[in-house]
Amino acid sequence: MIAFDNVGLRYGHGPEILKDLTFTISPGSFHFLTGPSGSGKTSLLRLLLLSLKPTRGSVSMFGEDVTALDRDRLLQMRRHIGIVFQEFRLLDHLTTFENVALPFRVRGQAEASYRSNVEELLDWVGLGDRMDAHPAVLSGGEKQRAAIARAVIAKPDILLADEPTGNVDPELSERLLHLFEQLNRMGTTIILATHELALLEKFDYPRMLLNDGELTFHE
Amino acid sequence: MSEGLKLRFPRPNPIVPAQSVAGRTLMLLIGIMTFLSCVTFGGVLLVQKSAMGWSADVGRELTIQIRPLDGEVIESNLRLAVSLSEAVPGVASARVLTIEESEALLEPWLGAGLDLSDLTIPRLVIVQLSDPNAADIVRLENEIAAIPGATLETHAAWRVQLNTMAGTIVVSGILVLALILVATTLAIVFATRGTMSTNREIVDVLHFIGASNRFIAGEFQGRFLLLGLKGGLAGGIAAIVFFIIAGTAMSTVVPETSSAQLGVLFGQFALGISGLLGIVGVVLVIAGLTAVTSRLTVRRFLTQIS
Repeated sequence: MIAFDNVGLRYGHGPEILKDLTFTISPGSFHFLTGPSGSGKTSLLRLLLLSLKPTRGSVSMFGEDVTALDRDRLLQMRRHIGIVFQEFRLLDHLTTFENVALPFRVRGQAEASYRSNVEELLDWVGLGDRMDAHPAVLSGGEKQRAAIARAVIAKPDILLADEPTGNVDPELSERLLHLFEQLNRMGTTIILATHELALLEKFDYPRMLLNDGELTFHE
Repeated sequence: MSEGLKLRFPRPNPIVPAQSVAGRTLMLLIGIMTFLSCVTFGGVLLVQKSAMGWSADVGRELTIQIRPLDGEVIESNLRLAVSLSEAVPGVASARVLTIEESEALLEPWLGAGLDLSDLTIPRLVIVQLSDPNAADIVRLENEIAAIPGATLETHAAWRVQLNTMAGTIVVSGILVLALILVATTLAIVFATRGTMSTNREIVDVLHFIGASNRFIAGEFQGRFLLLGLKGGLAGGIAAIVFFIIAGTAMSTVVPETSSAQLGVLFGQFALGISGLLGIVGVVLVIAGLTAVTSRLTVRRFLTQIS
């Protein structure tokens, strides 16, 4: 599903942030991406989200070399990838329902075609009674669940999460991890960036360890 | 059924919140620019209409001037000038200006109550043309030349000067309009860039969830088109009110005689249907300009950050 071959990344004329990354990710797998701050986790996620192009090497996704794709094809491919951020990045002026429904709206779909899907998913993540609430009145856990719902509503093949438990308490972190596990069991490939050791110890999934731009795998 | 649907699916909030676009300031600016454009357009239109009216009036009239000469009976020369004129094709009528009428013409310069009988004032014959294009002016000029002391004044020099003046005002007005539109465009570009920077978070989120640049640009363009229409409408209405007040003031505040003279000089201070349609056109052009400029600026911004 994802194949990196000798990928390197640098910003402008600066030092190389990611060095010689070569790995493959199988469909339906779950990986933790971990490493110290500044090791390049977010940069690697941005490469996986197709919002950055590598300085060297090749990145292949869904069997296509993404470094050679035009803007329209990249956009189509990005629609197969969901992203969850540590700081939620919900739009404050939209309700929970509207935030979660956003991926359908930007595809030009009519509300009648997706309303029941969104309601069902919000029920599933425990936000069925918070559909009309705005992010400002949601707790950290509710915001993150809404962000996860937005990331998966369009049924992406790959779900990327950048420190999704960074702004919630340990108990809620575990509950969110269980949510990611359930999504993974339904077939979504998950790469979750975190540096929370408690989670890494509790959930036994392969780890991608980034250190100073170099990646090692730990099964 | 439709009521039920409305209740189930209330209109979603806009993706770009109205208050996040530099709304009031930009709307005020567009309103002011529209007002200036409309006033310039209206002013140019009034000048052009007056100049055309003047030119047409002056072009329909010729003046034969006969100077009193020793040994000449001026009254018979006047009658001869009238009969020669009336025989020329394209001439509707010719009449001799009475001495009282000639004196009345001099009154503004020499004052009232003067006895002008001792002065040798040239006499005038006013020739009205039925069709200025068909009138044989050369033949009239030749025939009038046979009358001692007679000259024909076609007012051609006045008309050329008048047309030149009107043309200069029209060109200046168009130049001012163009400058206003350029200034408006630049202001919209800066306002749009500011709005895009303010809303960078929304743009990024939309990109992450797979929105195309076209979709994002459309969301912002809708906001700017609305602002352009609101500002343009306000400016257009203000301009119409301005012309109504100015027209009313001219007919009430200015004394009746002065008002009549101003009316002759500048025409009536009324835009008419063509003026109103022009103002509507200016409003639509500015609204469209706002939408197109903002869309291009947004697309460029999105291309740069993609």
